[in-house]
Amino acid sequence: MSKFRVYCWGLAEHGALGLKGSKSSSTSFRYIPKPVRHSFAEEKKVVAVACGFGFTAFGVQALDRYKVFGNGINTDSQIGLHEPRKNHPLSLVLAPAPINLGLEYSDTSIVSMSAGRAHLAVVTDKEGVFTLGSNCYGQCGREIIENEKYNGSHYVHNITKLGNEKVTSVSCGQDHTLFLTASGKVFSCGWSADGQTGTDQLDNICEPTRIDGDIKGETIIKVTGKSDCNLALSSNGEVFGWGNNEYFQLDTESKEQQVNCPRRLMSLQGLGKIVDIASGGPVCMALNECGDVFVWGYGILGVGPRIEMSGKPLQIPPTLFGRNEFQPETRVISVSCGLTHFMAINNHHNLYSWGRNRAGCLGIGHTRDQYFPYKVALSAHALSVSCGMDHTMVICRPFS
Amino acid sequence: MEYVISDAPTIWRLLNGVLCVYKPAGVTVNSVRRTLLYKLSTELNELECRPPVKRVAIDGDTRQALTVTVSDSLADNPLVVGPRYRPDDFKCSWATFLGVNTSGVFVIGLNSGTKDAYRLHREHPLRTYKVKGRLGECTDNLFHTGKVVDKSTWRHVRRGAMEKLLANMQASHQKTMYQLCGVDLQSEAAYELASKGLVRPVESKLPLIYGIRCVEFEPPNFIIEVNCINEYESYLLALVHDIAVKLHTVATCVSVRCTRHSCFTLQHALLMKHWTLQSAIANIAQSKRMIRNVMKTNKNMGLNSHLHRLEGEAANSLP
Repeated sequence: MSKFRVYCWGLAEHGALGLKGSKSSSTSFRYIPKPVRHSFAEEKKVVAVACGFGFTAFGVQALDRYKVFGNGINTDSQIGLHEPRKNHPLSLVLAPAPINLGLEYSDTSIVSMSAGRAHLAVVTDKEGVFTLGSNCYGQCGREIIENEKYNGSHYVHNITKLGNEKVTSVSCGQDHTLFLTASGKVFSCGWSADGQTGTDQLDNICEPTRIDGDIKGETIIKVTGKSDCNLALSSNGEVFGWGNNEYFQLDTESKEQQVNCPRRLMSLQGLGKIVDIASGGPVCMALNECGDVFVWGYGILGVGPRIEMSGKPLQIPPTLFGRNEFQPETRVISVSCGLTHFMAINNHHNLYSWGRNRAGCLGIGHTRDQYFPYKVALSAHALSVSCGMDHTMVICRPFS
Repeated sequence: MEYVISDAPTIWRLLNGVLCVYKPAGVTVNSVRRTLLYKLSTELNELECRPPVKRVAIDGDTRQALTVTVSDSLADNPLVVGPRYRPDDFKCSWATFLGVNTSGVFVIGLNSGTKDAYRLHREHPLRTYKVKGRLGECTDNLFHTGKVVDKSTWRHVRRGAMEKLLANMQASHQKTMYQLCGVDLQSEAAYELASKGLVRPVESKLPLIYGIRCVEFEPPNFIIEVNCINEYESYLLALVHDIAVKLHTVATCVSVRCTRHSCFTLQHALLMKHWTLQSAIANIAQSKRMIRNVMKTNKNMGLNSHLHRLEGEAANSLP
């Protein structure tokens, strides 16, 4: 029996779930509102998964050079070139197809992956970062070419090192990319109209550039940002943010709409050491070492339908994540989010979801919005979760 | 520090509280109660019991000085009235009834502890069962002791199919909880209810499953773990049968074991060989501590969510 499983749910119309099936069945469902076990993970050992805007990429452990597979929308070749007939590239791939990254060694392994609106970034342990897909704002970290045709392009950009260091992790926003290096430095490139690259200006940047601001001298261990508001977490548990500040997610004092340079989040001080962060754009989320989840911003925060906006971090009651009198030690161990939907995993590896339920992306069996964390009926232990715009993939381990 | 108490009335006064014992399968709860009380009362009788009351006899000629003799009253002699402690002297009732085929954690209230046991039961404690089933055969009483009435193939049943089914059952029960409480899942009331902890429809007698999963699958045998309230033995037997029918086969239940009742787990449960005064008293003391802790955490959790609420409302009024 395979050690890992993948469960998926959400919008299936464009093949983002990559569920194979007979022709009749693939047209009959538009979305799947509850977890379905993915057959791809039974064939390959899936170690990482990245959900973008209508497409998905799987990183697998394999002996050959095809280590990344992709399915879903492929209008900008964000999951590689798939051309069964010459000069007719597929712009929809319905089942996971291998992506040719041009890996040199067969023992290279996938470390981290992230997907944006129409681009994909893959971090490997030996050969650096590979970016593919749309580069119209420079989000792939290469020069912007006017009127470049992305559909049908097989170009994969390789960034071997940034500032003479290995890249350990990557996070794709809507149209920008953040790179994290081994010593905790952050580099960014792409669209910067809201200051989301954090490079102290609002012009697009095509060359990955080191960003400073308040994170100068800090060792960053995680960067995240699904759309245009980014958060970074330092090794001593402090949170920094830059990008869109329309709902005062980053700074309640200055009332600036855009923060174009990393800034320390003062509102999170006094909440203990932060160990995990997630940012969906209008709503941000942080997890402290006691396992308490804090949310702030605008939208469905997860603290009932009445509270829609808060500049101050609000704690979601731990009872909603399975803490009760019999399991008083239950705590959340990781959080993640899509644009408007949120997921948290507790130490019993149960998955909880809340937020806007576009096309059933919460996986709770219907498409109505959920205003507080609700347990997802997964028949395995959830290990890590990746949220796209309207679909979700979870890597799980069987119960026994 | 250890004390040796050999005085039976002192021991008797210590036997007030909730006791957690391990009920074997195939024995009724009444029989468990009878055995336990018999063992406790025999042991009590072996200790230093109350001596017979004194009989004062005043004899002699009333016109002269009378003789007063004090002797043991024969009417109070254990040989006449029977042993000092009898099983009937105990007040004893269980928190939650367990069926004859069920084994595992069984919570009993002794003397004044019967009130605590009842209160525990009224709070709809969460129970965890490990239910073992065997695919391929169906009996008339749904348990393996019955007469086989149906046989079926089972090799087509895969672990994945069973897990999928169990996850769906759990999801549908989770939805039912809110329905039984009469709240809309999208409402503020649902949020407030959920943030208080486990959602327990109080009036309901309907069994509710909070969690169900397959912990072992070696066809034809399988074990499922069920976290539930308001359940009863035949419900669990029928559950195994229903699962099998949905998997296009039949099954019988082989064993039902309660591994947890509220805060009591198997490690607190006294085996029959430990149904002695010493273990019982230690167990009662331990239970008292545990129940107090549970009540305290209950209270704290309610308080926290209330505070949080106030904070949230204050924050909502911010821009």
